[in-house]
Amino acid sequence: MGKTKYMMSAGLAFSEAGDMKKLRREALRGWHLKRFRCAGYELEKGESEDVIYSIDYRLLEPNEQDEYFGMFEIAGWTHVCTEYNMHIFKADRGTVPIYSDSESARDKIRRLAIPVRTVTLYVVGLMVLSGLLMKFTSGVIQSVSIFTFYVALIIAGPAVMTYAATFYHRWKKRMN
Amino acid sequence: MKSFEPLTDSMFYIMASLTEPRHGYAVMSLVEETTEGAFVIGPASLYTIIKKLLKEQLIVLQDESDSRRKVYTLTDIGRQTLEADIVRRKVMIEMAEKGLKRGSV
Repeated sequence: MGKTKYMMSAGLAFSEAGDMKKLRREALRGWHLKRFRCAGYELEKGESEDVIYSIDYRLLEPNEQDEYFGMFEIAGWTHVCTEYNMHIFKADRGTVPIYSDSESARDKIRRLAIPVRTVTLYVVGLMVLSGLLMKFTSGVIQSVSIFTFYVALIIAGPAVMTYAATFYHRWKKRMN
Repeated sequence: MKSFEPLTDSMFYIMASLTEPRHGYAVMSLVEETTEGAFVIGPASLYTIIKKLLKEQLIVLQDESDSRRKVYTLTDIGRQTLEADIVRRKVMIEMAEKGLKRGSV
């Protein structure tokens, strides 16, 4: 195995284009995306490469994968890595963008938002529930719910912000 | 009715290609050839639109024996929708053509 290093993501819901540009700059310096790793990416040392990166979000059934990845390949986009519903591709500069119209690009953000929404709803629900338990119980149950409430509160902050960001991007796309 | 909403240019080209059974790659290359590269459909857009047309029952999966090259074709509703959109687009073009003719006199 070659030399690897870690690159942190700025958060795909916030700065997807920023992440993709950064991956390109790293590839020019010879560091190539290998896979997703813990809120970021693992890069591997190799030759310098003049490529662009793009990400798509789509939860694929096993019988959909061949056709989906095949279409990208024909269009000149090489599949690099996949994690759950996120797929990153690379291509030579000047290749047709993976999204060529704004309508289907808007659908992409909606798909990105689906898992974010699920997490946000659960965490906010847990917060409300433990908040209520905290108020109306005593003893051990109260201690547990106080603890749960604060843990949920810590996760809820970024979750709500991320979910809000997907709305902001959709609204921005609709404006142009 | 929902299916008679105006089609986007990409949807229009894809549906026009699927008047005969074709797979995704064939749609991509037919559009590129016909328009001499002036209109290209990116792979993610193509996949998204095919899924959307399937969901709205404007196209149907005809042959999935080759998992990389699934073949689709227009349904009856798809044909009607495409015809309705041709009429809509003709009105636009006629108006512009007549206007230009009058303007050049």
